Amino acid sequence: MIPFELSEQVYNCIKCGLCSNTCPVYAQLRFEGVSPRGKVQLIRKILEGKLAISENFARLLGTCLLCETCMVNCPSGVRLDRLMKAMRAEVVAKYSLPWQKRALYHLLSGPHMLPFAVFWGRMLEAPLRSLLPKDGKVGTIPCSRLPRLNSRPLLSQYPEIISPVGPRVGRVLYFVGCATNYMSENVGRAVISVLVKLGVEVIIPRGQVCCGFPICLAGARKPFLSNIRRNLEVFDPKDADAVVVDCATCGAALKKEYADVLEEMGEDAEAARELGRKVLDISQYISGFDLEKYLRPVPTRVTYHDPCHLLRTQGVKEEPRSLLKRIPNMEFVEMAGADVCCGGGGAFQMEHPDVASGITKNKIQAIMETRADIVATGCPGCRLQIHGNLGDESIQVVHPIEILATAMACNHCIDLSS
Amino acid sequence: MLKPEILQKFIAIVGRDRCKTSPEDLLTFGYDASIYEYVPDAVVFPKSTQEAAGIMKVASAHNVFVTPRGAGSGLGGEALAKHGGIVLCFSMMHRILEINTANRYAVVEPGVVISEFQKAVERVGLFYPPDPGSAAVATMGGSVAMNSGGMRGVKYGVTRDYLLGLEIVLPSGEVMMTGTVTAKDVTGYDLTRLICGSEGTLALVTRINVRLLPKPKTKRTLQAIYNSIDAAGDAVSRIIEEGIVPATLELMDGMIIQALEEFSHLGLPLDAAAILLIDVDGDTETVERQAALVADFCKAQGAREVRVSSSEKENEQLWFARRSAFGAVARMRPTCVIEDATVPVSFLTATIKKVIEICGRNRVQVAVLAHAGDGNLHPLMLCDQRDAEEMARVDKCMDEIVEFALSVGGTLTGEHGIGINKAKYLPQQLSQTSLKMMRAVKATFDPQGILNPGGFLEHCRS
Repeated sequence: MIPFELSEQVYNCIKCGLCSNTCPVYAQLRFEGVSPRGKVQLIRKILEGKLAISENFARLLGTCLLCETCMVNCPSGVRLDRLMKAMRAEVVAKYSLPWQKRALYHLLSGPHMLPFAVFWGRMLEAPLRSLLPKDGKVGTIPCSRLPRLNSRPLLSQYPEIISPVGPRVGRVLYFVGCATNYMSENVGRAVISVLVKLGVEVIIPRGQVCCGFPICLAGARKPFLSNIRRNLEVFDPKDADAVVVDCATCGAALKKEYADVLEEMGEDAEAARELGRKVLDISQYISGFDLEKYLRPVPTRVTYHDPCHLLRTQGVKEEPRSLLKRIPNMEFVEMAGADVCCGGGGAFQMEHPDVASGITKNKIQAIMETRADIVATGCPGCRLQIHGNLGDESIQVVHPIEILATAMACNHCIDLSS
Repeated sequence: MLKPEILQKFIAIVGRDRCKTSPEDLLTFGYDASIYEYVPDAVVFPKSTQEAAGIMKVASAHNVFVTPRGAGSGLGGEALAKHGGIVLCFSMMHRILEINTANRYAVVEPGVVISEFQKAVERVGLFYPPDPGSAAVATMGGSVAMNSGGMRGVKYGVTRDYLLGLEIVLPSGEVMMTGTVTAKDVTGYDLTRLICGSEGTLALVTRINVRLLPKPKTKRTLQAIYNSIDAAGDAVSRIIEEGIVPATLELMDGMIIQALEEFSHLGLPLDAAAILLIDVDGDTETVERQAALVADFCKAQGAREVRVSSSEKENEQLWFARRSAFGAVARMRPTCVIEDATVPVSFLTATIKKVIEICGRNRVQVAVLAHAGDGNLHPLMLCDQRDAEEMARVDKCMDEIVEFALSVGGTLTGEHGIGINKAKYLPQQLSQTSLKMMRAVKATFDPQGILNPGGFLEHCRS
């Protein structure tokens, strides 16, 4: 059930339509049913009992990247994001999810992945790859441009407590998201080695599980709850300066979504709020450090893409940019429309490849126009989508922290020579 | 209801994807930015003139009602299928066909969004002045149908002042051109300007030729802050009387300031009774000179403070906020009914006073916004459309505001159009002879009465 206060939001929509033209999906499809205004009005009809939840409605509701561009442009302050997510939960209650998603979310909710940990990529890479269509695509992404799995999950590569180099100046809890844990180990290694070099003790609490945001966005609130509870148990932020995350989506979940969803479900949200106040994106946390003494020149040209969940959900815009700008000899170029969604949207690009590829095409074009050697962005979904759609271009797509680790001559540098 | 065999004919023209009939699709084409709702029987999206003409041929052969629509951002139900039938939506016909820098004109399809067109011409150093508050959503076709005005009206005029020619599709399905692309053209009746503002009742507009100006070199935005709304209103009349021609001259009262500040956090003065938002544009020296002149003038006219923007970014933020006013006031109450009465500018203060008095007496919360330089008021009446008793009081206010505006030589509507909500007032402003001529024009273009039935003329049988 959608709580009364949230459902009243539909009456704050004055139907001015200012959201429609900012919506990347509407720009592709150009009919009202996919526009944010259209969705809010359909939700209103459903809440008023004048329209039943149908498969077509579910399809329209799903034709949304949840990029929140509509919300930041809504002069009436309608919480479109909350309405859409709450409505997705209603849709799931009626139709339930397809089995593939159910299976995946079951795996991600709780510690079900642990048994695979020891032999993760070494054993699973080949059989999983063989399931993919040869020369085919997953959504918009050619199979040949999918990332490789980590040989072992990052969580099993490090001890729980990692001591800093030199005197300790800080202590953080590190939330390792699924992408870093299972696929982009280099991001995790960069996070840890930069922090350690700066004198920060890194604690990776055992027993942490997937942040659950993808599960929540699909509307599956019950499994999401189990992830929330588990992570709230494991992360006690009292003795730490911050809980750092390297993933825009995990950050969005821990900072806001946990508390919001608990509240909407009538549960106690205080612990989640307390955790949320301590969560910082890695770029935010290290912004305060004196990096200059560590930074070596990296002569290359870099551009930055704003992940939706970092820019709009968390309001983090300047920190990643200014970190990159601090690196000597690195030329920072702003791309046109850096704040526009890349079209990935998690499962969106698989479910709506035509729409996604239209949106991504614009992003790729904006990147090409900068003539940058590197695209930096703090979201694994964006990196997957951008890298996956770059075709034969030799542009590297990396997390800003990977560039910083390289500039700071940490272990696990990546090759940024161009 | 549409007969299946007729629907098949529409599908044969545009394909299944561009002919929508699901309950969700019909509901979402049943509203605009007003409080009215009329659900159509189908929504058809042409992508070319040929398709639009084909649709009209089928419609006229079978007497199917057709209501043209752009972005659905209208404020009076003009683009709603008031008697059912199909909505013909131009959102998928949205190419900019030509921007001719040598002759300073452009040719666009009707579904192009106004602000996107503005940006496109500005990239090549040109300028399309018509700038309705809804420019970020409204389409060029919609603005032709409604003869949209907006914020730059005081210096640059309205949509009709920029139209050179149109390609139109008659209700019969015949295609014809009006006008040309030349700056001057007196060949025959001026059908271009007849179609402009006809609220989609005479013909479909499928191609639009507009004239462009060189882009002003620079621009400066001033905020003149007042402790009394009367003083702000008086200043506007004097600015106009003095012969100063700002590019925009907007007035907003304390309530609007509050709503905008809550949305945009620009540091607007929350204790002010009114702000005049004034743009001056042109070459650098002129702008410097005019900005100083306007600032001094406003101070002399009782402004407590005049702030001058320091950068293009700040200009943009201020105007973005101003454009959001209609939506932003919805933070206060769920429904917002916008009045659009327009008066000779010397009556501006008197009219604002009268509006506040009328709304106070009828216990309707009102926020006053105005394209003040044009004498174009936009009182925003805040209410909840679920409350019938309150809505009756809002109606009463509308009646009285209209009556007052007409009594001082004003008009029912400056730019939002008649649509459904003002049709009943038409005989108060137009003579029987005038209405007769308008009906004759309508009958000439649309003898079957299939295009936008329930449009403004039909509501005022007198």
